[in-house]
Amino acid sequence: MARPSQVAIDNFISFTGSTEVAAIQKLECPVLNSGSCDCTPRTSMVRPWILLLLLLLAISPPSHSSTVHNNNWAVLVCTSRFWFNYRHMANTLSLYRTVKRLGIPDERIILMLADDMACNARNSYPAQVFNNENHMLNLYGDNVEVDYRGYEVTVENFLRVLTGRHETAVPRSKRLLSDEGSHILVYMTGHGGDEFLKFQDNEELQSHDLADAVKQMKEKHRFKELLIMVDTCQAATLFSQLQSPGVLAIGSSKKGENSYSHHLDSDIGVSVVDRFTYYTLAFFEKLNMYSNASLSSLFNSYDSHLLMSTASYREDLYRRPLSEVPVTNFFGSVMKTFHTDFAYTGFSMEPEAHISLVSETDSRRTLGSENAQTEAANHNAKDNCPFHAWLKVLEDKLDNENAEKLVLYGLGSMVLLLAISTLLSV
Amino acid sequence: MPAEKDEAKEPRARPRLIIFMASFLVSHSTLFSVVCCIAGLIALLLLPILAKSTYISENALMPGSANPVFSGQDVSEASRLVKDITETQKMGKTTGIEIQRLIIQRMADVGAEVYYHKFQSQSNQFHPFRFFSCDSNSAVTESNSNTSNGLNTVGIIRAPRGDGKEAIVLVTPYNSEYVKLNDALSLGLGFSIFSHLSRVSWLAKDILWLAADSRYGEYSSVSAWLKDYHNPVFFSSENVDANVTHDKDFLNMENKNMLNGRNVDVFKRAGTMAAAMVFKVGEAMERDPRDILTIYAEASNGQMPNLDLINVVHYLAVHRQGFRVNIGKLASLVNSAWLNLVGQILEWLGNLAKNLNPKWNFGISSADYAEGAATVASSMYHQALGVPTGSHGAFRDYQVDAITFSFSSRFYLNNENMQSSFILRGGRLIEGVIRSVNNLLEKFHQSFFLYMMTAPNKFVSVGVYMIGFALLALPLPVVAASLFLNHKATGFTGTEEAKIAFGSWQWLYAAKTVLMIDLWALIASLMPYFISQIPNISPTESTLLWVALSVSILAVLYVILGSPYSHSAQIGALLIVPMCLVVRPLKKHMQGALILRALSLVCNLVMVVIGFPPAALLLMKGFSEGFEGVGIGAVWEVAEFLWVWNSATYLYVFLVHLPCWVLCIHILLHP
Repeated sequence: MARPSQVAIDNFISFTGSTEVAAIQKLECPVLNSGSCDCTPRTSMVRPWILLLLLLLAISPPSHSSTVHNNNWAVLVCTSRFWFNYRHMANTLSLYRTVKRLGIPDERIILMLADDMACNARNSYPAQVFNNENHMLNLYGDNVEVDYRGYEVTVENFLRVLTGRHETAVPRSKRLLSDEGSHILVYMTGHGGDEFLKFQDNEELQSHDLADAVKQMKEKHRFKELLIMVDTCQAATLFSQLQSPGVLAIGSSKKGENSYSHHLDSDIGVSVVDRFTYYTLAFFEKLNMYSNASLSSLFNSYDSHLLMSTASYREDLYRRPLSEVPVTNFFGSVMKTFHTDFAYTGFSMEPEAHISLVSETDSRRTLGSENAQTEAANHNAKDNCPFHAWLKVLEDKLDNENAEKLVLYGLGSMVLLLAISTLLSV
Repeated sequence: MPAEKDEAKEPRARPRLIIFMASFLVSHSTLFSVVCCIAGLIALLLLPILAKSTYISENALMPGSANPVFSGQDVSEASRLVKDITETQKMGKTTGIEIQRLIIQRMADVGAEVYYHKFQSQSNQFHPFRFFSCDSNSAVTESNSNTSNGLNTVGIIRAPRGDGKEAIVLVTPYNSEYVKLNDALSLGLGFSIFSHLSRVSWLAKDILWLAADSRYGEYSSVSAWLKDYHNPVFFSSENVDANVTHDKDFLNMENKNMLNGRNVDVFKRAGTMAAAMVFKVGEAMERDPRDILTIYAEASNGQMPNLDLINVVHYLAVHRQGFRVNIGKLASLVNSAWLNLVGQILEWLGNLAKNLNPKWNFGISSADYAEGAATVASSMYHQALGVPTGSHGAFRDYQVDAITFSFSSRFYLNNENMQSSFILRGGRLIEGVIRSVNNLLEKFHQSFFLYMMTAPNKFVSVGVYMIGFALLALPLPVVAASLFLNHKATGFTGTEEAKIAFGSWQWLYAAKTVLMIDLWALIASLMPYFISQIPNISPTESTLLWVALSVSILAVLYVILGSPYSHSAQIGALLIVPMCLVVRPLKKHMQGALILRALSLVCNLVMVVIGFPPAALLLMKGFSEGFEGVGIGAVWEVAEFLWVWNSATYLYVFLVHLPCWVLCIHILLHP
């Protein structure tokens, strides 16, 4: 999940923690900056603070932003079938190609295609799908994994994917296995209207359904940040009901506006791409996964004259300023990562301490010192394991006592327990 | 009456509005019916103005979204076939099946599945009626010695990646006895499209090409093929043997029924038909700057193909290939003085409205109005007559949307260059239509089925033209109600009628009359079938015999059933509006002003004469063609014509119109 080359830090801007955390940072930072290995006695001074913090965290409601962004998912949905909706499949496949190129691996992309245009008898280029009349790029190449296809693309399945409430038989490859560190891109295209999106020409996803699913995801810690991108008529109405924090949404058109196709391929005889998607792709074609373009530059790249509709986005639920969020946070798998040398990430407290560590040292760190750094972190990691911490506290408490006495007391109490239990069983 | 009861209970309470309106209408029924009839007529005259522009309502069609790839190479295929056909013709080998053999050889060469379809053309006979359907029972026709055989040639291209469940049908009718240049060109056009389609990769529906041998009429060959297509005969050895031997006689060839190792006598099928196109090359028409495409759409009994099909053809012809599209119109009406006058009045009114408020922009020029009215009149005439305007009518009987279009060049097509440019454009048009229909996912269903055209790109939908008819028919129930109430009011004062009313069985007499006359009408309508069995009889004699028999049967029925009571018989005779509204018993109107009496009498007599179907027919014929050539035999011919084409008009005339007319006579003569 973490690329070795991208050792980086998570920023604390979005962290909503209390002042205690800040205090910890202040306390810890100088200590850890020393980079010495024998820091255990000093860190033990911090223990009570950590315990206190743990207590606080246990009491306070769970907060998504307490986790770092550590993985990326994409759910790409083409909701319409029929030959004349060729462009919707081409839209989705183009986005699929783009996010894959920018680094989201196939197993983290849920691709839903409602129809198979490549094998449609009307397709004059069998087994190929193009999004441009120059036919330079076959989107339906060798390496396309479609997770849900044809009649599997339903509102029910879509909501199941989002909320993770699958039947047991559904394989892992068809599930969105995101966690509270995930950035998820949800891209949908099809025919829609005021507060709905048609699926398969026979059912609709309503804005309330979408908002409800997102809320469930939020409560189940299934994402850290979510970008919903919709290319359909009156797309902006689809996310009017959202109310979960951390969600950013952009649609191709405002209420009352249509979204239009970009151009017609007169060889294939259908429109091959929609305007909004076309200009989105035009933006991404200039980028690679190391690019630093921000979401705001993407959002500002939409020209309503070219789109023939007004791309509108909703950011009131989103906390970070768009100009500071790289697009690769959603469209790629580029994230600020850090080394974790312990196997379990179950404890949400741990990364923060380390992050602060790395964040401070990052600028000064050299390649040569990396090993030492890692070792230090390793050592800390052992100490910081909660069970070890408790054990340590216990050990400290018992330090002065006679160990044998403890054993004797222990044996005595066990005999007593045995006697009572036999008495009870008789 | 509930209204009376209400008033009795609460004298001050006003009667309910609907009851008040109903009683008002009934009491002013004469005025009401006059107003309604005039409004109905005006509504019908306004149809050309109320027409909407056509639009393609099925998303899947996407006409013109793909560039046609029909090329000069395909045109050269066509020219080669045309040349071959004309040479065969010159060598005088058209004894039977030379042309068919040529066509089938060419079709097989492009890799299509081919077969001959032998059929027997039905002679003009009174046969059992078939409405909106085919009769599967009569699939096996008795082999009469006097039936004549035709030979269709059929080729099938299977869609390379299609599922084989649907097909598009192309039909080129030609006269196999003597192939004129037109026919040769339409065969060439058909073949070039066929061979072009055998190479394309986008087919989702199979393509059937029927080269229909139309020496006994276009319709019969196509309908015979369709009947065999939809009524598969399962294996019965006798039939097969009989057919094979018969074929050998007919085709005059032994062991030649195999082509490229395949039996070409086996009937092959593709899927259900999504649409069918009948196309032919017509005579050259000069005077027009553009080539003309004439569309025929009316099928039997007023059924129309889906409007989307016409729209697609019109769109591609006008906007892509630069044809001028014509649809049928009554040419005599275009220049008629009174229609132009109406047009001018409407134009003036439109201008006036525009001056008052620039947004009111409904006026059309008087020339446009006359065109539109002539077109809508022809549309109405063909739908009412119930006789299809071409061989596409056979498809509509199987619920397949089909149209005929005929190309007419502005030049004479003897010149080869003219030919090839003409075929190129015609081919591209047909390719475009096929590609568009090929995109369909479902049957045509989005657009209208009930409409009338006022121009190739304008139509009046059923919702609009029904207004006029509803206004015309509305007076009938109102007048009936008023007659009923008046009769009730007078019935109690009279002495003799009161007795009958007292028993409250008086409706029985009226019902008996109506029943009797309907029975007579049924007998009269079925009579032609029996008359036609008499050999060597001229139409005039048939007509006279028919009339004489009908009248005598009517007299006999009268005698048997006695003179029935008839005043309220009008309720049964609602359908013939003016006749029914004007008719009054002759004797009853003897009192009153002389002028009124005379007027009423004259009206009645005129209506009675016009209302009699044969008289109306003869008058119409006389006015349109001159009175010299009109004989009584025309009546027989028309009746036979309507019967042969399964026209519902025949049923209407004899089961509704004629009984009403007789009832009106009955009322006129009422003591």
